[in-house]
Amino acid sequence: MAMAGTTWRGVCAGVRRARPLLPGQQRSLLPGSAVALLRMRWTAAGKSRSRREAAEAEADAPVYQYVSERARRADRIFTWGFSYTGALGIPSFVQPSADGPAAGRKPRAIQPVPYRLEMDARISSVACGYGFTLLSSQTQDITKVWGMGLNKDSQLGFHRSRKDKSRGYEYVLEPSPVPLPLDRPQETRVLQVACGRAHSLILTDREGVLSMGNNSYGQCGRAVVANEIYSESHQVHRMRDFDGRVVQIVCGQDHSLFLTDKGEVYSCGWGADGQTGLGHYNITSTPTKVGGAIGGVRIVQVATYGDFCLAVSADGDLFGWGNSEYLQLASITEATQVNIPTHLPFSGIGKVKQAACGGTSGAVLNDEGNVFVWGYGILGKGPNLMETALPEMIPPTLFGLSDFNPDVRVSHICCGLSQFAALTNKGELFVWGKNIRGCLGIGRLEDQYFPWRRAW
Amino acid sequence: MGSLERSGLHGLFAVYKPPGLHWKHLRDTVEFKLLKGLNSKKQYTPKEHIRFLLAPKEGSERGELTLIAKNVPALSEHSLVLGVGRGNKLLTDIYNAHLTKDYTVRGLLGKATDDFSDEGRLIEKTTYDHVTPEKLSRILAVIQGSHQKAMVMYSNLDLKTQEAYEMAVKGLIRPMDKSPMLITGIRCLKFAPPEFLLEIQCMHETQQLLRRVVHEIGLELKSSAVCTQVRRTRDGVFTLEDALLRTQWNIHNIQTSIQKAAPRVEAELEKSQTIALDHPDPVGQSVS
Repeated sequence: MAMAGTTWRGVCAGVRRARPLLPGQQRSLLPGSAVALLRMRWTAAGKSRSRREAAEAEADAPVYQYVSERARRADRIFTWGFSYTGALGIPSFVQPSADGPAAGRKPRAIQPVPYRLEMDARISSVACGYGFTLLSSQTQDITKVWGMGLNKDSQLGFHRSRKDKSRGYEYVLEPSPVPLPLDRPQETRVLQVACGRAHSLILTDREGVLSMGNNSYGQCGRAVVANEIYSESHQVHRMRDFDGRVVQIVCGQDHSLFLTDKGEVYSCGWGADGQTGLGHYNITSTPTKVGGAIGGVRIVQVATYGDFCLAVSADGDLFGWGNSEYLQLASITEATQVNIPTHLPFSGIGKVKQAACGGTSGAVLNDEGNVFVWGYGILGKGPNLMETALPEMIPPTLFGLSDFNPDVRVSHICCGLSQFAALTNKGELFVWGKNIRGCLGIGRLEDQYFPWRRAW
Repeated sequence: MGSLERSGLHGLFAVYKPPGLHWKHLRDTVEFKLLKGLNSKKQYTPKEHIRFLLAPKEGSERGELTLIAKNVPALSEHSLVLGVGRGNKLLTDIYNAHLTKDYTVRGLLGKATDDFSDEGRLIEKTTYDHVTPEKLSRILAVIQGSHQKAMVMYSNLDLKTQEAYEMAVKGLIRPMDKSPMLITGIRCLKFAPPEFLLEIQCMHETQQLLRRVVHEIGLELKSSAVCTQVRRTRDGVFTLEDALLRTQWNIHNIQTSIQKAAPRVEAELEKSQTIALDHPDPVGQSVS
């Protein structure tokens, strides 16, 4: 056998060899069975030598380090949707520069997929209003809040124009610091921002709540001034006389809700749909405590976006008030406006952990991680379900639950005017609803009738 | 074919292909044993046809199997589906059903090679002490998400219909035509740096693409990875338990195996035909 091996090697020496002979490569010099036998023999010897060499070369190769052991994932912000107002914070979308890659192009109307917004600071809270955006960081630096987008009602504060120092910008195209009249700007932290149609609220940890923007209906928590001009206004109002500390702020279209650490809710603003929940349909211009069914109940979360409001109690009960023209409160009343918080006795939704309101719909998340929707519009259960007065559960398989991944749960839900978004415990984002001007960010401009995984 | 019918040898069965064995040799051996078994019953048998699960994807695998046999044998072990007699037609149907396959893939962090496997030419070595199971599972979730999206894209469904919604609820959306490799599920079974074990459920795959997934995972982790082992654990309805070992390649075992698998194969083909007809008939997908 050894001699046969030698013969084979001898035969091969004459042939120019680029690499050792390996099984599968036929040499038609010898008959079938002999080839098989010799092939095995050749492989063993040749392979071990090249293997040794390869192993030695590998051990000598340098090791590259791309990230250190303690590398932490950087937070990132992405924006998408309608960009004409500058709300996305990328100036080149609205004003392609005269030179550079976007020269000569028209302004981009819609950004259909998420686009990275570079911010140096660590942003902890964002809020989208009607054509404007606020970003805030919990830093103790002077600059804590940035705003971009529409500023015709000074909802982003006053941004001095560089061309004319006496004027302010009506449109802010990139994240610009919002000047805040804080007593101790280097100690106070901004915890949360909220945006409505034309006003904004900023929640601080020790200086109360600041409000800016349109106050035609008292939504900024100060008295309505007849014929007040809101554009290029420097006015930032501070609200501090709450019983307790405010822990959450939400803005409806033209009203504001405040939740204190005692579990009490305050409201102010437009009330024609009863969205202030104070028992009347008038304007309220100072934050007033809300009673009704939530008086005495410890509320842990409030939600609103349009003219309909929801509140979640510590026990997992749900309360609603405001507009009910779209069956939001049809389960308890035929009236189209409800001006006092009322308990919503939905059975089958379990213990409510979080609620979110759209313009014409409502959604709740229970403690098992299931999402229930009701109201009118694209609710997320296909084109056939366009309205329902009672909550319907969205099948958890649509959020990625399967035999492969049995522990997927929804951890957070959010609503736009006619859109929904859900975040799962796996860190995946699902969106559905009407895709107005690409606001879903799915790359298409069509409506999405069931939860769609926002992956890129 | 008379004796064939009498012996009930029509249908599909799975065999276990040990690593390093060329699939052609396996097929020839099984054919030889079948013929021997039939001949021993002293009946006249015409020429048998045993066909492999032929498909373009298998074609490229064929080429790779040759490569694999050259290298470390541990690289691929498979359960392969063979068809006998009238089962050959079933093979075509099964292929057109576009069922998913399960693989366990073993990866090794810290190395990048040119063919994404352990035996290729070394390109780069990197550190991997920053890699944690959480980072890995986040990347796997991103991979799965983008492939799920691609599945819907390639399935050419109109997402605005109620049928599309119902199929999405049942997890049935998948392409019934040619498409690039699609991963329907991926998760990490074990993580012990530098080694990790992934379970991948995919369709229209090749071994090269699976190894490439491991390589890309390494890149996303800001390190590098190579694939050390690819093992098919399920092919449509056939799992590893159904696969016959080398010692069991005789006519009796093959018969029993065909009979056991027949009802499952039929059920799966029925369901797939309903889906392929674009019928709005929600049916459940079997996950075996």
